[in-house]
Amino acid sequence: MTERRRRYIRMYALVWFVLAVAGDIGLALGPTPPFQASDLASSQSTVIKILAVIAWPVFSAVVATIAFTLFGNRVAPHEGDIDPGKLRGDSRPQIAWISASIVIVLSLAVYGTVALASDQPGAGISTTSASLRQPASPSDPLEVQVIAQQWWFTYRYPTYGGVETPQLVIPVGQKIQFHVTSLDVVHSFWFYALGVKADAVPLNDNVFTVTPTQTGTYRVQCSELCGLWHGNMNADDAMVVSSSDFAAWIQQQQAMDAPILKYLPAYSHTYEPNPPAYGT
Amino acid sequence: MAAVAVATRGTAPPSLSRRLHEWGLALAVVGAAIGFFVGYALGSLAIGDGDNSLGSNAGILLGYSLSAVGFLAGMGFFNYPIARLLGRPVPTADDEAYLHGEGGGLARYFRLTTDHKVIGMQYVVAILAFLFVGGLGAMFIRTELLTPTPTTATAESYLTLVGLHSTLMIFMASAAIIGPFGNYFVPIMIGARNMAFPRLEALTFWLLPPAGLILLSTVFLGGFTTGWTGYAPLADQNVLGMDSYLIAFSLIGLSIMLSGLNMIVTVITLRAPGMRFTRLPIFVWGVFLTSFLGLLAAPALLGAIAMETFDRTYLATLFVPAGGGSPYLWENLFWFFGHPEVYIFILPAFGLIMEMLPVFTRRPLWGYRVAIGGLVGVTVLSFMVWQHHLFVSGLAPALRPFYMFSTEAISVPTGLIYLVALGSLWRARTRFSTPMLFIGAFLFNFLIGGFTGVFLSDVPSDFTLHGGYFVQAHFHYTIMGAEVFALMAGLVYYLPKMTGRTMDTRLTRFQFWAVFLSFNGTFLSLLSVGILGMPRRVISYAQYLQPLNVSATVFAYLLGGSMLLFLGILIWNVVIRPVPAKENPWESLGVEWHLPTPTPVYNFDTVPTKWSLPYEYDTGRVAADVGHPAPALGGATP
Ligand SMILES: [Cu+2]
Ligand SMILES: [Cu+2]
Repeated sequence: MTERRRRYIRMYALVWFVLAVAGDIGLALGPTPPFQASDLASSQSTVIKILAVIAWPVFSAVVATIAFTLFGNRVAPHEGDIDPGKLRGDSRPQIAWISASIVIVLSLAVYGTVALASDQPGAGISTTSASLRQPASPSDPLEVQVIAQQWWFTYRYPTYGGVETPQLVIPVGQKIQFHVTSLDVVHSFWFYALGVKADAVPLNDNVFTVTPTQTGTYRVQCSELCGLWHGNMNADDAMVVSSSDFAAWIQQQQAMDAPILKYLPAYSHTYEPNPPAYGT
Repeated sequence: MAAVAVATRGTAPPSLSRRLHEWGLALAVVGAAIGFFVGYALGSLAIGDGDNSLGSNAGILLGYSLSAVGFLAGMGFFNYPIARLLGRPVPTADDEAYLHGEGGGLARYFRLTTDHKVIGMQYVVAILAFLFVGGLGAMFIRTELLTPTPTTATAESYLTLVGLHSTLMIFMASAAIIGPFGNYFVPIMIGARNMAFPRLEALTFWLLPPAGLILLSTVFLGGFTTGWTGYAPLADQNVLGMDSYLIAFSLIGLSIMLSGLNMIVTVITLRAPGMRFTRLPIFVWGVFLTSFLGLLAAPALLGAIAMETFDRTYLATLFVPAGGGSPYLWENLFWFFGHPEVYIFILPAFGLIMEMLPVFTRRPLWGYRVAIGGLVGVTVLSFMVWQHHLFVSGLAPALRPFYMFSTEAISVPTGLIYLVALGSLWRARTRFSTPMLFIGAFLFNFLIGGFTGVFLSDVPSDFTLHGGYFVQAHFHYTIMGAEVFALMAGLVYYLPKMTGRTMDTRLTRFQFWAVFLSFNGTFLSLLSVGILGMPRRVISYAQYLQPLNVSATVFAYLLGGSMLLFLGILIWNVVIRPVPAKENPWESLGVEWHLPTPTPVYNFDTVPTKWSLPYEYDTGRVAADVGHPAPALGGATP
């Protein structure tokens, strides 16, 4: 290896190091989507941040190596630098590369599993009704059924007599348990700011638990192609409000729905009417 | 009709069957029309529901199916099996040579021909046609997305555009590398004189034109709103345009499956004496392993499509919960096909890139066995990851960690491909010929595709990224940024062999920079809108996403323009004003470059028996001695 080649390697390594460190500092300190409006969003934001901080130096190292092998040899084309072909697969770099990638993959998988387990966001299919009660303390989740249909969402509060509203309003600091289902085709309920995304599948109860931490007005949208007006299946009026505002709002809704609610059971998961049978 | 040039061999006047064969394409069109009307009439009369103003669903399904059969019958695909069934004498060597296109001139490109090289060229044309029409669709989509609310399209026409663009591009990508280069070069590279099942090979190609046309005909039937994923029960709900998607996709599925079968048998049985598996060029390995994916994955798609037609025709409610079915059934069957499908796209591209690298580094492929290990690893793992498309579906949450792990594990064998590429480039005096530029861009683009994939494989981050533009940009990085760049690299590299003509170097190098920069501009913008919360396949989006969407559209226009430029250079330099190519312009040691140009009809006069890997640039040994004087090595070409 000539002195010149060594200098080029050092130059590329330096450029890579500066880029990697600067990039990682930016990624670590900068805001990361989906930001901080809920416990789930914060943890997803952390996961994305950590993945990005791991990925960026590796990515830039591979790019720097490609660039060096392409251009570094080109600008220093002394015969001594060029290997005419003895290198057919030296085993040391292979072992190093394979072990490094296995270690990275394993740690990513373990980290992802731990992050997933600590979030507990999705419980998946459950058609049996869980025990129903009105939330007494902030640790009890407030259940909100999200009923998707072409092409809007209806929100139902089973613990408030089954009040149904076209607008989602939830209290801040309270654990919310979304029960997502659909009346027709597959939709997906996406509350970007809260980090909630759950497919809405007919006759299926897709459960997602989240605690909003910031009040505000947000966008909810459908993220699974569901037919003609899929692109308009969104609303910018989903609200996270203080618990007193929520209490006032839900009382107002109950008063509005009172003429209907008196025919319905006080607490129920069941959505009435049942989805129409196919073909009728 | 260009297919009228009469080809005769020997002295006898052409027989009736040969005349019919020459008019195959015209007969095929007639056959397709007859098939459609017969099928439509039968379906409508016998089992039609008759309550749809556009006509009967059963009629359309049967009409499309019989039109495909009629098309193939017109081309002459059934002559051989029917003659065997009737006990007619087997074709003479003369008949076979005629079918092979010997002495057929240009006309053999327009009819059923069993020469794998002709079929490879037919694939080039078909792939570019699909790419062109699908690309036009992308331009319309990007135009609509300049504004957050609908302007140029209606909700209906927009979703039909989305469906056509995506499905056509999937058709294109399924065969973009394996079709042109696999068919043309695999038999040559293994020392065979033809494919194992030449008629089947012709069939896999001739399924493409009816598939493309049937898919496009959806615009006359109201289009379809499901995109290329065809999710049920939305598909059950769709108007007749859905049937175009179902029949067209099943023809493509059939083509993928049969092509896989043919390649596997060819590589196993037709290798020349002395051509061991340890001497197979790495491109052949890529095609060989991909063929297993096609053979094993496509049946899941075909089954799912059959079930969907039952749902739509007989109200079988296989995918409709209220009737006892499940949307998860479609999702699982579809992605059991769909995930291996993305490796059907990329594995042959990996093979092709690694095949070309040594030619430009002038060094043996670094770690040939590592490369095979990487390809095998990807092949096996690709069947174990499909549930990562269902992380937010609510299905089997307990299995998410496994599918997260298996998906991330694929990056280990994929990383081996990069190790081989880097090892090959390390300390090499790389020649920056035009294909090498595309190879470098391939490595860069696929790297972004791979790293963005890590964020999607991780369940918590997938909760926010799933179903959004991040996913869209991710797979465009792998399909367009990698596979289509490999296609362009392959065309620049192999056209001199396939056509004896070459693309203008300066123009193509300019085109390279244009396509590389505009591609990354487009899809970096789209990665960003995805992270910021834009769902896929929407005609309306939040106001705050407009600047990034405008940026994506402007770059997309440049990207469309530079793709058009590539097509223009190709057509101009190869068809209109042919620029003759040097023999073996890249000074490759591959056996394909050491046969005469154009390649003889049966490739080899005498099949070579002494083979080595085509990467021995240190000794300069050609992969096999074909008795054709090799052009002198030395003196790099730009
Ligand atoms: Cu929807
Ligand atoms: Cu996948």
